[in-house]
Amino acid sequence: MAPKSKEKSKTPTSQPPPAIEDLFTSLNNHIQGSEFEEAVKLADKVLSIVPTDEDAIRCKVVALIKDDKIDDYLIKDVKINGALSVINSFQKLPIDLGFHKAYCLYRLNKLDEALVCLKGLERDSETLLLESQILYRLGKADACVDVCQKLSKSEIESLEINLVAALITAGKASQVPKALE
Amino acid sequence: FPPAFQSIPRNPIVLDLAYHCIDFPDIENRMKKKGGGFMSRINLWGTKS
Repeated sequence: MAPKSKEKSKTPTSQPPPAIEDLFTSLNNHIQGSEFEEAVKLADKVLSIVPTDEDAIRCKVVALIKDDKIDDYLIKDVKINGALSVINSFQKLPIDLGFHKAYCLYRLNKLDEALVCLKGLERDSETLLLESQILYRLGKADACVDVCQKLSKSEIESLEINLVAALITAGKASQVPKALE
Repeated sequence: FPPAFQSIPRNPIVLDLAYHCIDFPDIENRMKKKGGGFMSRINLWGTKS
């Protein structure tokens, strides 16, 4: 009897946790297949082993954004954290998710907060692009035009669509042909 | 009747281009190495030298 009970007590611990590299391999497969819900689950598995793994955190946040889970949501009356809450929960770690946070705030129409968040970031083409979109939504079409024109050298695909929209909204439709040159 | 169709101005289209700036990190080096047999070791030496 004794050895049997020994074996029984061993079974729960005898299953080793899956190797991190295996989890990342499956995570990558889900990302490639755009299966973002599964990707979040895999990232969570990595985080249950290494709670501060930067790649897993980034994958989780991006997967939630790509899955349109920006705000918290309910599954069977249980609240699940959306991308913004997840970003906030990792705020104490030295991982820069400022752009992601600003984007989430923009998507949730918290436009002033999004601008404040962007101000703390380096002004590169990504942050300027997001800023232009926020300004447009705030009704500041003139300011949006200015930022879009700053961005014109960055060769962002389809940027001219937003620039034309801003010009028209700003009452500068006469400048549209020149902008499209 | 019916009244003639009239053209009206529509709101210009704005695209969410910032969405495309958000992408997954490169996790290639976190994944299981492909192969893992004798041949891959030769490759490893090859890349190191």
